Amino acid sequence: MSLGKVFALDKVANLFNIIRQNGGLRGVLYKLYRQDDIKDGVLVGEDKYGNKYFENPRFFYGRNRWVEYADRYHLNYDASQIPAEWYGWMHYKTDLPPHQDPSRPKYKWMLDHTENLSGTTGQYTPYSTTRPKIEAWVPPKSA
Amino acid sequence: MAGALARVIQGTKSHLGIVAPLTGVSNVPVRYQQTQTSPGKTKYGPLADADRIFTNLYGRHEWRLKGAMARGDWYLTKNILLKGTDWIVNELKTSGLRGRGGAGFPTGMKWSFMNKPSDGRPKYLVVNADEGEPGTCKDREIMRHDPHKLIEGCLIAGKAMGAQAAYIYIRGEFYNEASNLQVAIAEAYQAGLIGKNACGSGYDFDVYVHRGAGAYICGEETALIESIEGKQGKPRLKPPFPADVGLFGCPTTVNNVETIAVAPTICRRGGKWFASFGRTRNSGTKLFNISGHVNTPCTVEEEMSIPLKELIERHAGGVCGGWDNLLAIIPGGSSTPLIPKDVCATVLMDFDALVAAQTSLGTAAIIVMDRSTDIVKAIARLIMFYKHESCGQCTPCREGVSWMNKIIYRFVEGNASPKEIDMLWEISKQIEGHTICALGDGAAWPVQGLIRHFRPELERRMAAYAATCGPSKAERLY
Amino acid sequence: MLRQPLTRALALGSPTRLAPVTTRRYAEQAQAQPEKVEVFIDDQPVHVLPGTTVLQAAALAGVEIPRFCYHERLAVAGNCRMCLVEVEKSPKPVAACAMPVMKGMRVKTNSDLTKKAREGVMEFLLVNHPLDCPICDQGGECDLQDQSMAFGSDRSRFTDIHFSGKRAVEDKDVGPLIKTIMTRCIHCTRCIRFASEVAGVDDFGTTGRGTDMQVGTYVEKMLLSELSGNIIDLCPVGALTSKPYSFAARPWETRRIDSVDVLDPLGSNIVVATRTNEVLRILPRTNEEINEEWLSDKSRFACDGLKRQRLVTPMLKDSRGNLTPVEWEDAVVAAASALRDCPPDKILAVGGEMADAESLVALKDLVNRLGGENVCTEQYFPMEGAGTDLRSSYLLNTKIANVEDADFVLLIGTNVRFEAPLLNARIRKAFIHKETDVAFIGPKVDLTYEYMHVGDSASLVKDLASGTSGHEVMKRLQSAKRPVVILGADQLKTKEGAALLSYTQELASKLQENLQEKDWKVLNVLQRTTGQVAALDIGYKPGVGPVLASGPKLVYLLGADAGVVTREALPKDVTVIYQGHHGDQGASIADIVLPGAAYTEKRATYVNAEGRAQQTLPAVTPPGKAREDWKIIRALSEVCGEGLPYDNLDEVRSRLAEISPALVAYGNVQGNNYFAQALALAKSVQRPVSGKLDVQLKQLEDFFMTDPISRASPTMAKCVQAVLKQKQSPY
Repeated sequence: MSLGKVFALDKVANLFNIIRQNGGLRGVLYKLYRQDDIKDGVLVGEDKYGNKYFENPRFFYGRNRWVEYADRYHLNYDASQIPAEWYGWMHYKTDLPPHQDPSRPKYKWMLDHTENLSGTTGQYTPYSTTRPKIEAWVPPKSA
Repeated sequence: MAGALARVIQGTKSHLGIVAPLTGVSNVPVRYQQTQTSPGKTKYGPLADADRIFTNLYGRHEWRLKGAMARGDWYLTKNILLKGTDWIVNELKTSGLRGRGGAGFPTGMKWSFMNKPSDGRPKYLVVNADEGEPGTCKDREIMRHDPHKLIEGCLIAGKAMGAQAAYIYIRGEFYNEASNLQVAIAEAYQAGLIGKNACGSGYDFDVYVHRGAGAYICGEETALIESIEGKQGKPRLKPPFPADVGLFGCPTTVNNVETIAVAPTICRRGGKWFASFGRTRNSGTKLFNISGHVNTPCTVEEEMSIPLKELIERHAGGVCGGWDNLLAIIPGGSSTPLIPKDVCATVLMDFDALVAAQTSLGTAAIIVMDRSTDIVKAIARLIMFYKHESCGQCTPCREGVSWMNKIIYRFVEGNASPKEIDMLWEISKQIEGHTICALGDGAAWPVQGLIRHFRPELERRMAAYAATCGPSKAERLY
Repeated sequence: MLRQPLTRALALGSPTRLAPVTTRRYAEQAQAQPEKVEVFIDDQPVHVLPGTTVLQAAALAGVEIPRFCYHERLAVAGNCRMCLVEVEKSPKPVAACAMPVMKGMRVKTNSDLTKKAREGVMEFLLVNHPLDCPICDQGGECDLQDQSMAFGSDRSRFTDIHFSGKRAVEDKDVGPLIKTIMTRCIHCTRCIRFASEVAGVDDFGTTGRGTDMQVGTYVEKMLLSELSGNIIDLCPVGALTSKPYSFAARPWETRRIDSVDVLDPLGSNIVVATRTNEVLRILPRTNEEINEEWLSDKSRFACDGLKRQRLVTPMLKDSRGNLTPVEWEDAVVAAASALRDCPPDKILAVGGEMADAESLVALKDLVNRLGGENVCTEQYFPMEGAGTDLRSSYLLNTKIANVEDADFVLLIGTNVRFEAPLLNARIRKAFIHKETDVAFIGPKVDLTYEYMHVGDSASLVKDLASGTSGHEVMKRLQSAKRPVVILGADQLKTKEGAALLSYTQELASKLQENLQEKDWKVLNVLQRTTGQVAALDIGYKPGVGPVLASGPKLVYLLGADAGVVTREALPKDVTVIYQGHHGDQGASIADIVLPGAAYTEKRATYVNAEGRAQQTLPAVTPPGKAREDWKIIRALSEVCGEGLPYDNLDEVRSRLAEISPALVAYGNVQGNNYFAQALALAKSVQRPVSGKLDVQLKQLEDFFMTDPISRASPTMAKCVQAVLKQKQSPY
């Protein structure tokens, strides 16, 4: 056990490392505001929506992979914004991130990822199959 | 000719013996009740030629006015008219004449209903010449061979009830009869016998002929009235009776042709003369039509209450193959229940005796059926007739008669359950008395007669059917 | 003239056949009551008038005798035989519906003979009746169903079903309203009798006889009547059912709410049947004083118009001039600011043909509080002379029920048959059963009964009023004991209207002077719409003409859809607020649309042509964002800063009562007088008249679509099409 560890100097070093990695004091404060957490880690990759994926095995399993959502989401981020190709890595289904995994198929017909739109104006609403009881008057449109 | 002579002698003999006791005949009419013979007279018929009313029944003489006058029609009609309403009605009451159309309502009483104080409406006499009952062919003989009797009768009856006009509703199929009648009416008009100041009596009276279009139901008095009014021939509800609200809403009396045609003779020879024939309350002479399995089918005028067997043997030449070959007789037109041979042997042909035999005199159209007859099929054919002629107005007749028709045709082949015999009986009872007019009753009675007297025959057929074709579907269902 | 078979006339002439005596003050005055006879119904003594039938006597004793063909308001047919009862001393059971009572008659309605007879008839009726109750629209309200449960046998013995089956009858096509399934017909002939007696259309009848008898029109023909829907109610089985309502609901699923009809000025009483907040059908409700138990086809079948062309949300004109849905708040604020910003004398408020009294009074109060006076109705009424100050000048004073007792009816410029079908049915009833004669001034129209056509010139009225007319009608009017003069309100629209009214008043008052019964009212004005009487009572000015000419800045249309206010007639800068329930003529010219409630959706007061206030009850909720009309105006007043002093319906009604107690005297008609004073005031406006009297509704096809609700109704549109098609037919 090194002296540094005895005096917990490695923790201090970690702190400084984290602060440095997260873009200085301003960056740390911003990240704390946005995601209530600051971590240091290796940037594993970035998806096409700008979400960045990190890994740090120092944290225990389950918290050692995380995502920092793209800045454009600001506070409106949620887990459905992680595209399908990163989903497996995030959930430990695979250790290979998509850009390092040669076996992943890519077809033309694959749809772009959409986040969950529930609660927004873009949400899916099923249409009614019953006849409306009242037919409303539609005012004539002037040309 | 010798036979005729014998008949004359016989008739006169029996006739002479009964004149005195009959003077005490009460003219209080009692319908259908107890059959009580007038004291002293036990033998009825045959009728003497001198006592015949319809002297040209067979058309052997001239039917026109000249011939009719030669036979005594229109003789001093003016005097009869001048004797007045009450005298005529009284004479009719004395005669005990009962309606010859089937129901047998006392005619004198019927006419007297019309003599209520007038409320300003005209009164009408309607003559029912819609003789549609199967087996009946008496009115047509009158109309084609003795039309003046009918016209004179109309005048007298019209006078008796103060009627303005008579409408003779003649069956559409009677074309020749209608034209004879029309000719006779024209003659009578020309001779001043009817029309303005009829017979010089100061009484105005018109006679119109209205031809029907061939519906049996138009023989029902109210349906007949509707038909004259130009509407569908559907019976009206009673009350109000035609005597209150009849033709065109005015008091009306509807009488059968025969009833009207005998009236002049009654007035001329006196009610007592007429009452001397037949039993009490069944008095008079009557036209009998004998058809079916007899050697000489005929229409004949005979005394009321003549024994059925004697009537057939004397005038119709007896049943084909002898009396023992007789199966059953329908005594009063198709709507009356049949009577089997043993009843036929003793029954008298009058209203009360036939009611006692659970049938009815009806129009006195005797249909004789011998042992070759398929009795079930015969009755089934009659029911089919009634089904076809039901006007469809009221429920029991419309639905019930067609149902009976369906059942009885199954009975013909035996494709039915013996339990259905009781059912048919009940159905006929559900029709009888529940309808607006008497057609429902008339359709129910033949069936009742059949079941009453030929139940074993029905059961035999069903057993035979079951033996050959297996049990009927009806057996399994009901 | 033989108006109907005399047997029927006699049967119908008996006093009990007419409407109950309580509602008919004039019915029995002339003749002394004959002595009553005592009869025994199930040993229970009842005293009835001679001529009463056994069935009616039993009803008085509280015993209901089953029947199919018998109907109180139709002639007796006596053909179903269901009402057979045993009468002591009668060998056969008698038909109770046709048998008059006799003194001391003992009727047994529960004896074995009676029960047997009923069971027999029931069995016969079912022999050929299809047992398709599960798919029959009459199921649940079928007389045959009910009575076979009560009086029929508990099992069938109709074995012939397996040999020859039942009768089948081809269905008939009698138009878009009535669906026929003739196999179900039990030949009660109620429909035939209704058509020929009440509706005056002799198209129905029977053909064939026996089991082949069929009820129908013989040739395929539509039943060209404005009262045809009633035969659906009359049919005791499912042979005649409602086409628009077919397979819609079972009677036990529906909620029934008593209400009042507003589609014609009579205010017929109705029952609104609803399910899941939807009006399914409308049925008549018995009211002897108005509609008996009939209902006109428009009132009955136009209810599907309540579901189409509805205004369900407030709307405002956007920048491009298109009406766009907005929230209530925006609409009310926009309307209130328009009202506030407009000079009060430039506000024009128009009460429409179906406006209820509550909203009318609220609108008038609002406009008055803002300082305006221009509250008008669409329909014009001459204001010269007495104007609308005397209520008797614009009401049907004789009252609908009393018209039956009239002995001479003069119709001036009104096609009663289509303007008020049930009033016409009353006149026809009087014509048939009472030898009442009718004369008509106006174009030749078919009133379903014969009338003397006097001519179509307005000057005829003048001649009659001055007594110079040599026409036979003059003599008839003068000799009549109970004359009735009915003037169509449409005739008052013209320039000569005032004079015409004045002459009519003069004629009526001259006739009135000679009457023995001083309380018999002669003068009648038949309004065209339901809203008019209440509006005039409240103080609306009839007609928009003068105000429209002065160039209003703001027009508030309260359900005004008759087309008297058009964009062309208004200045360019005018704001139009439309409040109502249908997108019709009013809404299409509006800048602001406030969705109101139709008559089935609110509790509201309507005053009919007689001046009888009646209220509707809410059967369904107003659709979408629509609200009760008076509440909209109340909310508007709040935003305008002129809050109206009533917050609930009771308070609105006490405001109505302040204006006129008659407006809240529900179900009653106040007697009207001051005819002489009205005449005295009107004398000054008498001047020569020369115009021709014309009526708007001439043919049956004109009748069906006259107001926003019926114009929106697909059924009514089908009726118009069918009638036009029938006109092409050779039959």
